[in-house]
Amino acid sequence: MTYSSAVPSNGAGFAQVLHAEWTKLRSVRSTWICVGLTFGLTILLAYLAGSGNTTDANSFGPQRFFQAQLVHQSLTGDGSIVTHVASQEETGPDAKAGVMITGPVADPTSKTGLPASPPAYAAIMVTPGHGVQWQSDISHDAAGTTDPAPRWLKLTRAGSRITGYESPDGVTWTQVGTAEVTELPATARVGMFVSAPPTGVKAIRRSPTSIENSPDYTLSTAVFDSVRITGANGQPVSGSWQHVDTSGPPRELPHDSVAGSFTENAGRFTVSGAGDLGVQAPGSVGDNDVVRDTLSGILIGFIAMAVLAALYITSEFRRGIIRTTFTATPRRGRVLAAKSIVLAAVAFVTGVAAAVPAFLISQPLLRENGFAPPAYPKVSLTDGPVVRAVLGTGLVLALLAVLALALGALLRSSAAAITLVIAVVLVPLIIGPFLTLGGEAWLKRITPGAGMAIQQTRERWDDAIGPWAGIAVLSGWVAVVLIAAVVQLRRRDA
Amino acid sequence: MIVATRALHAEWTKARTVRSSGWLLVGITTLTLGLGALVAASVRFAGCAPPGGDCDVDATRIALSGVYVGQVAAVLFGVLVVSSEYATGTIRTTLTAVPRRWVTLVAKAVVVAGPVLLTAVLAVAGSLLVARAVLPANGFTPAHGYPALSIGDSATLRASVGTVLYLCLIALLSLGVALIVRNAGAAIATALSLLFVFPIVGTLVTEPRWREWLTEWAPMSAGLAVQATRGLDAMPVGPWQGLAVLTAYAGGALAVGGILLQVRDA
Repeated sequence: MTYSSAVPSNGAGFAQVLHAEWTKLRSVRSTWICVGLTFGLTILLAYLAGSGNTTDANSFGPQRFFQAQLVHQSLTGDGSIVTHVASQEETGPDAKAGVMITGPVADPTSKTGLPASPPAYAAIMVTPGHGVQWQSDISHDAAGTTDPAPRWLKLTRAGSRITGYESPDGVTWTQVGTAEVTELPATARVGMFVSAPPTGVKAIRRSPTSIENSPDYTLSTAVFDSVRITGANGQPVSGSWQHVDTSGPPRELPHDSVAGSFTENAGRFTVSGAGDLGVQAPGSVGDNDVVRDTLSGILIGFIAMAVLAALYITSEFRRGIIRTTFTATPRRGRVLAAKSIVLAAVAFVTGVAAAVPAFLISQPLLRENGFAPPAYPKVSLTDGPVVRAVLGTGLVLALLAVLALALGALLRSSAAAITLVIAVVLVPLIIGPFLTLGGEAWLKRITPGAGMAIQQTRERWDDAIGPWAGIAVLSGWVAVVLIAAVVQLRRRDA
Repeated sequence: MIVATRALHAEWTKARTVRSSGWLLVGITTLTLGLGALVAASVRFAGCAPPGGDCDVDATRIALSGVYVGQVAAVLFGVLVVSSEYATGTIRTTLTAVPRRWVTLVAKAVVVAGPVLLTAVLAVAGSLLVARAVLPANGFTPAHGYPALSIGDSATLRASVGTVLYLCLIALLSLGVALIVRNAGAAIATALSLLFVFPIVGTLVTEPRWREWLTEWAPMSAGLAVQATRGLDAMPVGPWQGLAVLTAYAGGALAVGGILLQVRDA
């Protein structure tokens, strides 16, 4: 005869454990005080971030840049220039190599870092990402074929009429663009140029409270051959080549400048340069993440949630209820799992419930304060990154709450658990500014606060880690502490 | 008077014989010293490293930056002296033995402030010595206008004394918060929020007026204004005024806590 216990096996009982833990959480008054505080503080912080930020990003009009390494000769009257762009280094999709006709270029050494007002010019160029392009200072830009280098380019002048052509072989030519450049003097400069817009942002820390950043320019190098300048009479024009870097110093952070160069070897011209050429639309100056800035108040709300999470288990140890709990559910890991699930659910719902009004309250305030189109396109609650940030706010809060719970289970002291979890999340934010930018970025990558990256909705130069990678780091911390807590719970008497 | 001495002795015995007290006091020193050394060894501010020349960083402040972490131990120490008594019910015994509750309050304040003062002196002196040895390698040399750190310099002396007082005031503020809130977890969260929330709000807003206001009136940034040795004109609050703001916070918390101790059942 076999004995069979009348006690139901534990496998069927997890739902009951969950229910028991939910009852314990919901029937304590302080739970709802903490949830209310998290909710309220997050929204309050969003209100502050909305009304305490202003920007003048939209007051900048379209800016015109004329920064390139230019290798030129003089050409009086009508004529043309033909060249073959043999190769072009791809530093980005908008690196430029081509031929140009321009009026006098201001002395670059007298510049102060502000974009100089460009001379009258017209240019045809090839770019790695968008093929052949036509540009002049007074007409709209035009696009040719999308073929990158190698490519043949030609520019002709007839009076003030400048026309640009492209060709795959130097024989059959296609017109790309044409313009009246009325301010062009009779004797103009014609030649090759190379330019490359910034590939990123370079930042330096001057002091704990001040960071300077500037565009990060990378030189692009192109090789030109078969260069031929022809005069009005159809005869080749020969002269000596001059070169000038029209961007001029200083457009870089101090002690670190990028200077273009030029060499000629048997009719092959190797030119390298960097800078912006053309019109930059307003809006490229504003780079605040208006969503993240207003949702990061969850870090403050988290303090109340951390108290709730730690007390959820430490109060059981303090009052001895944990012994009843473990008698009812002898598998201690399950108790912690049930607590984690219940707590994570409450925290997630709280986080999302706070993030939605936080977003809705702060965005109109920010728009009033200058964070408006075109510099700051309107963001909506249904945009993909915004959805990720809002749901992510709940996710981060849930993970941090479980971290506090696991620390509570591990240390069995609310004081220690609360202090530790607040310290590891908030202290890096306070001491980060004292470190180098690289050191601060590492701090943002490896501490549990990395999870806050989920609130990013646009790329910024100071992003330390991607949204999901940040969540992975935080999850790693939670997993490690949870495992340690389970091992501890099994070994130690309650 | 005898009552006061005995109350003090009793509080001292209670604080001394709990294992966590010793650890927390050691924590104040090691955390302050450790983080200060780490920061001093790793700072590379543009313009300060050769071949710079436009360096405007406060070296004393760098040296004493460990206090940002060390204060967390001071908060715990200040809170636990009170809240552990409420958690275990010892507070009723204490108040039975010394029915004049304000005497107990003063005794607790002395028992908190005294040991924190001593450990803070160690932490500050150690941090200065470490920074003095390490900072020149990071560009803080006499040639750049940074003589070796020394308390012979009146501004550095003020920063050092001020930092010691700062840690004591933080511990007393925490004691006051614990008298008001009683629960250890809630008291710690409240005290740490008072310290850390304002600087974080400061990073969320860019409006200069708001930032200035936050620096002027937040307990941590106002209190640590005493560490400044450069650029005092640009600061929204002077060194001693800043410490006075923190003193007002600590005094206010102790006063409210003291009144609640008088009027509430333990």
